[in-house]
Amino acid sequence: MPLEYCIRYNTTNTYENKVHSAYWQFLIIPETNESQDLITTDFNNSLAAMNEFSINGYGFSTIRVNPRKNFQEITFNAEFKVLKKDANPFEFDPSQNIKEDYLRLNSLNFKVDFDQFLKNTPFTTLPDSSMGLYQLDDTLSLFDNLQALNTWTYQSIYFKVGVTDVNTTLNNIITKKYGVCQDFTHLFCAIARNNKIPTRYVSGYLHQGNGYFGDSQMHAWAEAYIPTIGWVGFDPTNNVLVASNHIKVCHGKDYQDCAPLKGIVCSQGQNETQYSVQVISRQQ
Amino acid sequence: MTNIENKIFSSYQRDSQLYDEIFDEEGAIKQVYQKLFNLYGEHSIEDYVKLNSKAKSSFFNQGITFQVYGDKETKEKIFPFDLFPRIIDPEEWEIIEKGSIQRSKALNLFLWDIYHDKNIIRDGIVPMDLISSSANYLDQMNGVDPPGGIYNHISGIDVIKHKDGKYYVLEDNIRCPSGVSYVICNRTALKRALFGVFNHYQTYSVTNYAENLLDLLESVKPQGVDIPNCVVITPGMYNSAFYEHSYLAKTMGVELVEGRDLFVENDFVYMKTIKGPVKVDIIYRRIDDQFLDPLEFKSDSAIGVPGLFAAYKKGNVTLANAPGTGVADDKAVYTYMPQIIKYYLDEEPILNNVHTYHCSRPEELKYVLDHIHELVIKPVDEAGGYGISIGNRLSTSEIELVKEQIIESPRKYVAQPIMSLSVHPTYIDETEEFEQRHVDLRTFTVLGKDKEFVLKGGLTRVALQKGNLIVNSSQGGGSKDTWVLKNI
Repeated sequence: MPLEYCIRYNTTNTYENKVHSAYWQFLIIPETNESQDLITTDFNNSLAAMNEFSINGYGFSTIRVNPRKNFQEITFNAEFKVLKKDANPFEFDPSQNIKEDYLRLNSLNFKVDFDQFLKNTPFTTLPDSSMGLYQLDDTLSLFDNLQALNTWTYQSIYFKVGVTDVNTTLNNIITKKYGVCQDFTHLFCAIARNNKIPTRYVSGYLHQGNGYFGDSQMHAWAEAYIPTIGWVGFDPTNNVLVASNHIKVCHGKDYQDCAPLKGIVCSQGQNETQYSVQVISRQQ
Repeated sequence: MTNIENKIFSSYQRDSQLYDEIFDEEGAIKQVYQKLFNLYGEHSIEDYVKLNSKAKSSFFNQGITFQVYGDKETKEKIFPFDLFPRIIDPEEWEIIEKGSIQRSKALNLFLWDIYHDKNIIRDGIVPMDLISSSANYLDQMNGVDPPGGIYNHISGIDVIKHKDGKYYVLEDNIRCPSGVSYVICNRTALKRALFGVFNHYQTYSVTNYAENLLDLLESVKPQGVDIPNCVVITPGMYNSAFYEHSYLAKTMGVELVEGRDLFVENDFVYMKTIKGPVKVDIIYRRIDDQFLDPLEFKSDSAIGVPGLFAAYKKGNVTLANAPGTGVADDKAVYTYMPQIIKYYLDEEPILNNVHTYHCSRPEELKYVLDHIHELVIKPVDEAGGYGISIGNRLSTSEIELVKEQIIESPRKYVAQPIMSLSVHPTYIDETEEFEQRHVDLRTFTVLGKDKEFVLKGGLTRVALQKGNLIVNSSQGGGSKDTWVLKNI
């Protein structure tokens, strides 16, 4: 049975002094893929500036705003309706192809095809001293290994907001053991990629049920490529497989490729940002 | 007339170990230089002192100066220039020209391939590392078709003549190669100082560069554009090559802009003018990839245009050179150029590559270990000259140490023969004499849709310090007017 979700994204930026020039780029529109359909998109800003729909460098939908006038405050409101197919993440039999999967990971053509998601970035690079942090068990299937890695990542970091920011390195995260969803995801990606498994960082929304508090921010998880299955989503922050309550916006190598909001604002003095995300479900 | 009678060369010291561009091994003047040699011999050294200062003031008057960063007071300098031109005969030039076109085309096909199907890697010709570990490979360019299929519109290929008298390529510069304005200004300065000498030679003009560049850039305009509007974008007047940016815009007859003069709306690029926005279709960019668009690359870039990359990706604007070309002018790619040329063009390379021994291959490792004293040993993963050992300058114990390092991790090292750049008589201010100095030649090749252009001339760069092999202007190099003859 398909599920309908309504996502509301609001942000208000307030500046101490008048801003003369500003550009924003939002990467917040849910994509349409095999498991979800974007039905409606509504986006507006309080300055009535033009909302330009475009793409980022990897082809995901963006909205750019460039108010060509002075301002001290701007509010953006977005509302998206998404239909999500009720999928079973376990609809394949992972035990079938253990050997073939490992063989294909090592073939040159596979490495060429998935190069982008096999190389680590500054966000997903483990310090040399932590290379042996986690070992795969090659008697198990790739899927079982990734599930174990998902659990291990979940157990290795305590979820805590405010300890890390977008520039925190993995070294810092594994020594302090605190982080948020992007930190869990970066760690998962780093280890999977070190084991030659193509892995991408996914940005999106998570619905945790009506009234839960965890959905007030955008979420992040990982997708790993298992040759005989395809891309499979893992959410190490919650130790679950990606299911119908995960609504995907985009993917990339790391947070940097998926930053929901990029802004170039020329202003002096202080500024303040308020930001909220709401995900509401309606069983169809 | 013989050498000895020639006043200005009476004290010229010729090192017979070096390849001199104008004298042969016996010290006889080469045929192409004979007339010039006689003409210059009519003057005294005192005349040259005068002519040289005249030429220098010509540069100041034209505003052709550059700034050296980091000095206490920023001082405008002129690029050192000397009055004795380098002459390239038609036969030699044909090799350089054909070789440059061949290399540029092969690099273009290589770039298309590594941003699309990557067949050259699948076929095992070049290793995966070339793209997976290159900081200049842009994932964003994967699958993007640049307008007209051209990536390296402008290539600056640096060639040298070795003591065997053959031309070798030292580097392929395909990001934003600079120096072409000096080629044209050197010619202007020499004409002002010594106009008469041009009556005795049939030399190709170099002033047609800008019109050819514009013509070829217009040939790769975005689809659906009838009469394209081209601009040159510069990081600004504080950039060391600002003179060249303004010169090229002026001579192409197009606007020179900075990032703040442009804006993107609905994925089209516009230039702000007093009459309102004007659409821009082709951008000759002189800013690096990472600074092009703060929304896609370095977010603190103040010299880029927000949204430019999206406009490019949608095919609404041509960027020259295309983003991501830098991956192909890596040192590592250079070593595979002969294979790259063969793979895409099924041709033998016209210009030589400096041979590279990969210590990872056992038979080559043996050769390297046996011939260290005549090789340059370079680590593959270091940049900026770190870790380079020049064999003939090592002591016996140092050689043993280098051998040990290579044997320990052979994959980490490559080796090349020590190249000796040819020398050319160069007027030296301090001694007020002509002396031998090492030279190279930067050529400029422009690729367009189904046509190409090589500037018949190029920038001969001179290492002004005696014995020095480094010709870069930042290292105190100078330059020479370079003549390509129509006939001898």
